[in-house]
Amino acid sequence: MAQKEATVYIVDCGRSMGEHAHGRKQSNLDWALEYVWDKITATVATGRKTTLAGVVGLRTDGTDNSMSHDEDYEHITVFQELSQLLMPNLKKLSKDLVVSRTKTGDAISALVVAIQMIATTCKKLQYIRKIVLITDARAFVQADGLSSITKKIKDDNIELIVLGVDFDDLEYGFKEEGKDATKAENEEVLRTLCEDCGGVFGTLAQAIEEMSMPRVKSTRPVPSYKGLLTLGNPQTFDTALSINVERYPKVMQAKPPTASRFVVRGDMTTSQAATDASSATLNGDDGLAAVKSARTYQVEDEEAPGGKRDVEFDELSKGYEYGRTAVHISESDRNVTTYETTASMDIVGFVDRARYERYLEMDRACLIIGQRSDGKSTMALSALIHALYELDSYAVARLVVKENKEPRMLLLAPNIEPEFECLYDIELPFAEDVRSYKFPPLDRVVTVSGKTLTLHRNLPNNDLQTAMDAYVDNMDLSTFGKDADGQEVEYAPMDETFSPMLHRINQVIKHRAIFPTADPPPTSEILIKYSHPPQQLISQNQSTLNKLIAAAEVKKVPPKARGKRFGRKGRNGEADKPLSELDVTALLAADPKRSTKRLDPQNAIPEFKQLLATSEDESLTEVKEACIQLQTIISNWLRHSVGDSGYGRAIEALRVMREEILDYEQPELYNGMLRALKGDVLEGKLGGDRKDFWYQVRVNRLGLIRKSEMGASEVGDEEAREFMLVK
Amino acid sequence: MADLPYRDKMADNSNRAAEEEEDEEDEVVDESGYKTVKDAVLFAIDVSKSMLTTPEDADPKKPDTGLSPTIAALKCAYSLMQQRIISNPNDMMGILLFGTKKSKFQEGDDETGKTGLQYPHCYLLTDLDVPAAADVKHLRNLVNDEGEATDLLRASDQEVSMANVLFCANQIFTTKAPNFSSRRLFLVTDNDSPHATNRDARNSAAVRAKDLYDLGVTIELFPISHPDRGYTFDRSKFYDDIVYSAIPSDPDAPAPLTTDIKAANASAKDGISLLQALLSSVASRAAPRRALFSSVPFEIGPGLKISVKGFILLKRQEPKRTSYIYLPPDSEKPQIAVGSSTLMAEDTARSVEKVEIRKAFKFGGETVSFTEDELSKIRNFGDPVLRIIGFKPLSMLPIWANYKHNTFIYPSEEDFVGSTRVFSALQQKLLKSQKFGLAWFIPRRNAVPTLAAVYAGAERISDAGDQVMPPGLWIKPLPFADDIREPPAEIDLIKASDDCIDKMRVVVQQLQLPKAVYDPQRYPNPSLQWFYRILQALALEEDLPEQPEDKTLPRWKQIHKRAGQYVVEFGEVLDKAFARWQKDSGRSGAPGVNGGAKRSQPFGASGSAPKRVKKEGDEDAGISDEDMRAAFTKNALSSFTVAHLKTWLQGKGLSTTGKKQDLIDVVTGWFETKRDA
Repeated sequence: MAQKEATVYIVDCGRSMGEHAHGRKQSNLDWALEYVWDKITATVATGRKTTLAGVVGLRTDGTDNSMSHDEDYEHITVFQELSQLLMPNLKKLSKDLVVSRTKTGDAISALVVAIQMIATTCKKLQYIRKIVLITDARAFVQADGLSSITKKIKDDNIELIVLGVDFDDLEYGFKEEGKDATKAENEEVLRTLCEDCGGVFGTLAQAIEEMSMPRVKSTRPVPSYKGLLTLGNPQTFDTALSINVERYPKVMQAKPPTASRFVVRGDMTTSQAATDASSATLNGDDGLAAVKSARTYQVEDEEAPGGKRDVEFDELSKGYEYGRTAVHISESDRNVTTYETTASMDIVGFVDRARYERYLEMDRACLIIGQRSDGKSTMALSALIHALYELDSYAVARLVVKENKEPRMLLLAPNIEPEFECLYDIELPFAEDVRSYKFPPLDRVVTVSGKTLTLHRNLPNNDLQTAMDAYVDNMDLSTFGKDADGQEVEYAPMDETFSPMLHRINQVIKHRAIFPTADPPPTSEILIKYSHPPQQLISQNQSTLNKLIAAAEVKKVPPKARGKRFGRKGRNGEADKPLSELDVTALLAADPKRSTKRLDPQNAIPEFKQLLATSEDESLTEVKEACIQLQTIISNWLRHSVGDSGYGRAIEALRVMREEILDYEQPELYNGMLRALKGDVLEGKLGGDRKDFWYQVRVNRLGLIRKSEMGASEVGDEEAREFMLVK
Repeated sequence: MADLPYRDKMADNSNRAAEEEEDEEDEVVDESGYKTVKDAVLFAIDVSKSMLTTPEDADPKKPDTGLSPTIAALKCAYSLMQQRIISNPNDMMGILLFGTKKSKFQEGDDETGKTGLQYPHCYLLTDLDVPAAADVKHLRNLVNDEGEATDLLRASDQEVSMANVLFCANQIFTTKAPNFSSRRLFLVTDNDSPHATNRDARNSAAVRAKDLYDLGVTIELFPISHPDRGYTFDRSKFYDDIVYSAIPSDPDAPAPLTTDIKAANASAKDGISLLQALLSSVASRAAPRRALFSSVPFEIGPGLKISVKGFILLKRQEPKRTSYIYLPPDSEKPQIAVGSSTLMAEDTARSVEKVEIRKAFKFGGETVSFTEDELSKIRNFGDPVLRIIGFKPLSMLPIWANYKHNTFIYPSEEDFVGSTRVFSALQQKLLKSQKFGLAWFIPRRNAVPTLAAVYAGAERISDAGDQVMPPGLWIKPLPFADDIREPPAEIDLIKASDDCIDKMRVVVQQLQLPKAVYDPQRYPNPSLQWFYRILQALALEEDLPEQPEDKTLPRWKQIHKRAGQYVVEFGEVLDKAFARWQKDSGRSGAPGVNGGAKRSQPFGASGSAPKRVKKEGDEDAGISDEDMRAAFTKNALSSFTVAHLKTWLQGKGLSTTGKKQDLIDVVTGWFETKRDA
């Protein structure tokens, strides 16, 4: 469990905080709040009840604190007592933390208030205690009696962080010119205080800069297996080796928070909903109702209308599908399908590292160490790790993490660091996991006639290969990065890359929580740093790249030529032929049935395609005629469809028609047909209620041909979208 | 529109297969929803006199070799059907016999009312559909039961019209598998020249074959030769007019690998039976090749884009999830209940349209909401792309940098002409220089962007000359800093001494796997096999099978024989080394390793977990076996804490779930069975 935490933020709201110093667009307070909100929202995002935060305003117009009877404590307001922060607290704070008209207020007094808050709440309990003071140090600070405060901070084990607006920080490299004397003096007081109580003293600019570096959340390691690693069978042979090990995750994908589905509450009107969408968080009641999904179940029943009948959930029991057969397994037989196993990790054998293929890796990697507190196991494991390393080998093991869990095959790879040794393990595939797709070789071409060619348009010639070799070698990232000392290091090592989606989503949620009406902030640079090659590297190698592009001679296929007329018919525009090159088109033309140009409903799709392919009629009368025929056939299928039995064919015909029409630049042929079809569907002319067919048209994306798809179309995207809706 | 709820079932139909391939986190399924990503295979098996003749030179010891070609083909279909129920549970399969005396077509063909008369000598044995248990059973009976076989498997005296066979197949595909992205006709025959003297009949067949081609049906031919009769199947006589190449007519075009199927021999001269030969040719084409993505440009450098397709070659096959079953009160036959869901507002229980839905995140006890538009802008990191940003040596790709299966990519000329040669140059360079490309990868619109390693895979050919692994590039999504976990803190590093390592090295050298590689084909998934065996037995109402051989288990005996002695030696050296270490470091460690000979009592009797000595200050040490046994005999197990019980159970590899009483039950059970043993 995470440690309990208590943090008090002291935010200077004095009049001088309203200034826009050093040409910044924001006021000093807004600038400081960037930091405060970032920290506070990060706390809120954890959702932990044991992570407490409090906020004290310094140099506020009013006074409200536990020591307010003392005039030293004037203009200090406790905006937020220490507690878990939730949305309402954030909303209140964003109203509280504004620039005041006040010039005075003692930062040290505010510190005392904060110490008091922590002492009251945390008592002597186990807490990580922290005070963050953010100020421009422009007000008078009473510097006597600091030693008792230092002592209290140390005794209570409070971490003090002081961040100053434009404080001097030589290490960071900032010095404010023309600083006023009070500020310089105060800075010195606060710096000494921090040093005395072991705190952190810094300039705000640095803190804000560091914020752009995404924070990586650390997770406490939980073992996924604790038990024996064996070589040989200790149950039957006395020559078996068993080592006590623990297995922990090494890689675990951190997922961004997921959005839930909501709907505007029934008592709000739709127009309100549209405008209130983003401001919903402003009101105490966010006006949203959760969306649940209600499930209903149907079984086939020949006697029921539509061939299906609803059944109650209570009437159902669990089972499996074997093909399309239902297999019922009664409650008592539930575990009959479980393959009985006992937890174990058994070495099956050893493999050669050089011959291992990385694509076999199936799942997230884990690491295995000897059981802690078991020195001998750790030593034995170390022997195995070193032996594998020295032999350039990996082990293959069978792992069952828990009783009756399915066995998995693992690759065990040695890892030796000066202070750490372990085995990394990665799951390997089983026979069933391999799909045997075959692809032609890439370094030679075997022709249809059986010849093997090494010169072919699909193979790189010498120029291309040389250019590629040079490009790959020159675009080397292994020494392109620079470390803090300016030494050449690996560019984009994994521990400096951050999940763009994860941090982006977190960023916008936190932003929206504080600024409900503002647009989301731009994506921070670091998240997309690796989306393109480093500009400098490209510039250095532009000539190499140019040579490669020239040798590659890659040509984009123009979008129009991608259709079947060109793609399927071959590059020279001829119709497809069988392997023997038999002229089937001639045979088709000779077929008496087909020469009538009437589509046979049973063979509608092939004949439609053939009709279009052989049509040489420039006026497209034949094409139009074919479309009308196909439309009639589609309507008939729908009319005679029992339930949804004819939908599949109708959808297929629509798809084929849409694809073919796209090649003819005659979008209206399809669009007109679809409009008519929709009319018939909605009017119930096609054998009753066929609205569910329209749903199929929509999910299969067979809507109107849009202008964005084909220039000749008159239909805009919005119109096409509207058209698909059934009102 | 309120009367048109969103139905899972329908979305399922079009997207289920696609979704299997998709990452669950991606909410948007793009272009893949366009066509049903399902496969339908129709076996067309020739039942001629020649196909029904058993080979004369059959080896009596190998019953497989005595099968007639038709029976071998049926067996092959039977095995494929069982296999596809496991691997492609949503795909369809059917079996059509042709050249039979009997004729039969779909029952209840309501549209035309036509009967089998339309397709004489075509017998539709199994209609094209997702196989049912009854289909499997029927087929099994047919291949095993001579009686039924002789009745049905009788060759017609008349020659069957191939045009009819093909049109019959056309009708089956048209009505039963409309809008499928993959429809394939597996044609098994030993007759290379049907209608040898009838040109018109041959032409009609060619026309019907073109129809199938235009319908999008691929014909896969499985030809059979009879070397014992001096007969070799010649495709050029007839079938080259029927079968289409996927690639346009160009004599220099690369041959699609699928046409390299050699004619299988009906006799077993070379030791491979016809059945085996058929099984392996069918297996090589059993899986329809489905691209995971095909419109992602591969940007090798700024200004150099090529087109590639992505495929999943390796993917964990999981047992089927449970479904809801309806048991009608008046019938024995359980039915599958198909669920559909309607979205409802929680407050008023009214049904909700998709357009009304807002996405909101839970934050600080409330919700922070965004409009659909805002959210899609936020999630948008640009168009789908695989963009190389530079190259690194493979040594900079640590072995642990993996969290999901890798994706295979292969060039396509679809969007960019010349893609293949550029891809080939890159693949060969990466292979030669042992480098990988670091790439920014967005597989689909609005998908989560990742950094990925693009590395080369060489073509692997089996001893028999078949391709086992295709050549190409692989995409390995890399973990971000956020995904990398730290090892637990406070680990004592106790390094093994050199003499220990030397002894262990000998052990490792003794136990190399064949060819020193991991071959997945040698390791069927035991849980998955067991699951489907049981399911099949239940579905076909057979007896439950015996526990099968688990090929993933180590070869204990061999390990003992080959390495046992060295393990014992290692144990001895380790004992000494550890004693030395304890002395040097002034610590007493718990003896945790059992190196063979050192043990005073056999492992099994006292339990396989090592004994642990409770040390002062070592809270983690838990309960020793002795203490636990003592408590068990005194019936005082409940005196231990749940944490202690769990630790002890975990050490034994036992279940640690449930309440305290459950844990105590497990412990009790363990001691009880141990005492028996």
